[in-house]
Amino acid sequence: MKRFFDRAFLAGLLAVLVAVPLGVALWSHKETSAYYENRTLAAKPEVTAESLWNGSFGSDFESWFSDHVPGRTTLLKIDTAVQMKLLQRPVVNDIVLDADGVLVPKMSYSEYSRKAYEETVPPIAENFGKLNDHVEENGGKFYFVGFPEQRVYFEDRFPDYMNNHETEAAVADEVFMTALENAGVHALDMRQVYAEQGNPAEYYSVVDHHYNYYGAYAGYRAIMEALAEDGWGLPVLTEDEIGFAELPNPYIGSRNRKLYNLWENEEKAAILAETPVPFTRTDNGRPSEKPLFVVPAQEDLPTTYNLYMGGDFGETVLETNRPELPDVLIFGDSFTNALETLLYASFDETRILDLRHYTEQSLKDYITEHKPDIVLCVMNDTFYYTTTGNGAVWED
Amino acid sequence: MAFSSMTFLFGFLPAVLLCYFVIPARFRAARNFVLLAFSLVFYCWGGMALLPVFLASCLLNWGAALLVDKVKSHRKAVYVTALVLNVTMLGYYKYTGFLLGNLNALGLDVAVPSIALPAGISFFTFQAIAYLTDVYRGIVRAERNPARVVLFMALFPQLLQGPILRWNDFGPALTERQETAAEAAEGAVRFCCGLAKKVLLADALGQAADAAFSAGDRLTVTLAWLGAIAYTLQLYFDFSGYTDMAIGLGRVLGFRIPENFNYPYIAKSASEFWRRWHMTLSYWFRDYVYIPLGGNRCARGRQVGNLLVVWMLTGLWHGSAWNFVLWGLYYALLLMGEKFLWGKRLQKLPAAVQHGYAMVLIIIGWVLFRATSLQLVGDMISAMFGFAPAGFHGMETEYYLRQFAWEWAVAIPAALPVKNWMQGKLSAKAEGGCGVCRWTLELGPKVLAVVLLGCSAVRLLSSTFRSFLYFQF
Repeated sequence: MKRFFDRAFLAGLLAVLVAVPLGVALWSHKETSAYYENRTLAAKPEVTAESLWNGSFGSDFESWFSDHVPGRTTLLKIDTAVQMKLLQRPVVNDIVLDADGVLVPKMSYSEYSRKAYEETVPPIAENFGKLNDHVEENGGKFYFVGFPEQRVYFEDRFPDYMNNHETEAAVADEVFMTALENAGVHALDMRQVYAEQGNPAEYYSVVDHHYNYYGAYAGYRAIMEALAEDGWGLPVLTEDEIGFAELPNPYIGSRNRKLYNLWENEEKAAILAETPVPFTRTDNGRPSEKPLFVVPAQEDLPTTYNLYMGGDFGETVLETNRPELPDVLIFGDSFTNALETLLYASFDETRILDLRHYTEQSLKDYITEHKPDIVLCVMNDTFYYTTTGNGAVWED
Repeated sequence: MAFSSMTFLFGFLPAVLLCYFVIPARFRAARNFVLLAFSLVFYCWGGMALLPVFLASCLLNWGAALLVDKVKSHRKAVYVTALVLNVTMLGYYKYTGFLLGNLNALGLDVAVPSIALPAGISFFTFQAIAYLTDVYRGIVRAERNPARVVLFMALFPQLLQGPILRWNDFGPALTERQETAAEAAEGAVRFCCGLAKKVLLADALGQAADAAFSAGDRLTVTLAWLGAIAYTLQLYFDFSGYTDMAIGLGRVLGFRIPENFNYPYIAKSASEFWRRWHMTLSYWFRDYVYIPLGGNRCARGRQVGNLLVVWMLTGLWHGSAWNFVLWGLYYALLLMGEKFLWGKRLQKLPAAVQHGYAMVLIIIGWVLFRATSLQLVGDMISAMFGFAPAGFHGMETEYYLRQFAWEWAVAIPAALPVKNWMQGKLSAKAEGGCGVCRWTLELGPKVLAVVLLGCSAVRLLSSTFRSFLYFQF
């Protein structure tokens, strides 16, 4: 009997060892990206004399082979479930599970000092100052709107053994906003605005790094109030005029996506019940039929934050054909997306740039060409000190 | 190529097993050829640029051993020349940067060249020196077939991290070994357990160790101890895991690769620890350095000198940095202290006190070993003894305790001979007629091996590639 078990065990083991490479050989071409990991899968490396000589072929092959193991996503999902539910780890796939009902990222225990931020901020603020001057030279007005990222908004939800970077975030935001004001930029700190409203929990997603639509609406109202204080007489979408509708679809937030959407929650995405103002849309220079909210065709299909404006585009233009109203240019990170669905209703022409994707011309030249009345930069506070992408606001 | 890579587990390994076992056992030379070819592929996977150095070392030692064995005159000169060449090769690749860096520190302006370290050079050079010396001493005859000598040095299960083989064990196995299903099954179980030690325990605990050793101003007393203990466990599971995989693969292929570990953390003294940790290296230094220097059979002053030489070399063998030298000298002092000063009194203390004494010293030793600079050694050890920049306790310690609670819970008993104890109990009951115990003994390890292989493979998929710690040596 022992002999039988030994042989059966060895045969089974060998079968598994052989099945995996066969599966890779047969199915490796089928997938090119990993949705839950939000990345492109490694490509099959080419054999070259150089790559064999310096060993890069071996490491590239390992990446490709690991990425294309049959059933990889299912295996990783099972592993995530085991880590979350069986082993009860406080952090899984860099997401903190023990954070009082919200998903927040695991943060490093090291922090940057006030001095480090104060040393970093001058050239950044200087660039915003130059942009501000350029907008004014072209007859417009520049406003910066900063939003707290979800992990900053929910910083008090972190368990006490995790570093929430509370002090660091407060210092970083304060140093940045002060520097902008010193550079002559009109800056609106939504962190303070939300705090004055009592930081309502319903403003931010518990499963995503963005606010939700209610938070976006509160942001929209604050922006419109700031513009009104500056003398802009713009129509405002009040709660009496609009209605919010919650989509029945499951909502996959970026945090829960890292957990293979295994963290149970009831969060639903909200949108406007009706389109408030008719518009025509152009994406990257081409006419587009995309609505403000791109909703899945079936109720059981999941949706994400990308439903707002259909995700990120290099350039989007919304025309409402109301020449009596001013034109606006909005640029910034993905926090703009939900805001755009509200802001456009207050302007004649709304131009939206995502500087990560827009490469036709510089922001400076774009402003020179289109001369918008108002330029809004919308950014979450984790990007304040970034000088690439949407942080690259000025090129001399 | 690392054992804990998907390419090895699900590419290289099935390929070598299929090619090897498809050849009938009676064609031993053909099976050896398959092993040789795959071993060279295994070595070249990190870059063929490394191969010429390795082959040069193989051919040098094959030729020198033949000359030492066959040529009666000048055999000592040939032996010494080959020995010097081996040491020079090791010294050039491993210590040039260290040496020149120190000269620069002394004020000389010397350019430090970037020299790629051939993987496993410390291991295969020591294996070659042992072979050469055994031939010189007449313990073994020189092998005429160069392919066999290359296979001796290149055998993939032990090529990169040992255990260090001796020709008198390996040579006969080339022709006389027998592969059986029972041996292969036991080898496969051991391989899977070794893989799990590395992937599930060592890599996880390594995160806690890395955090403590890079904490800087955040270091607390508890974090320093946690990091030092985590590294103590990480290193054991990493290296003994690799050894288990090497021994397991050897058994699948019919070889008996020597044991390298015997539960080192149950030692009651530093001397006993070194009889249980990296045993093939300890035996190597004993047989090829310590005893030729005179060993114990000389005056006390000479013995002290011999111990200092052996342990400084042991330190340097592990790495070309001052902290490794310090670590070697630390053990030299401990071993001399136990030998000449407090060893007898230590033995009279209760066993628990002896264990505590040994563990504290071992943990401090690993701090010397792990630290990347003498400054860090000082920071860690002073923090462990109360002088931590961030006080006694902080949230980081708590996180690593919570996050890796399972690893802590499994690692500590797994580092102790709990498995042997359980096997002993089950065997005794099985002999007494307990059917469940017999089945558990028969099937338990196999089921556990399959589960551990599956868990390890999934962990590998979800983590970036991590090299074994002993690769660097």
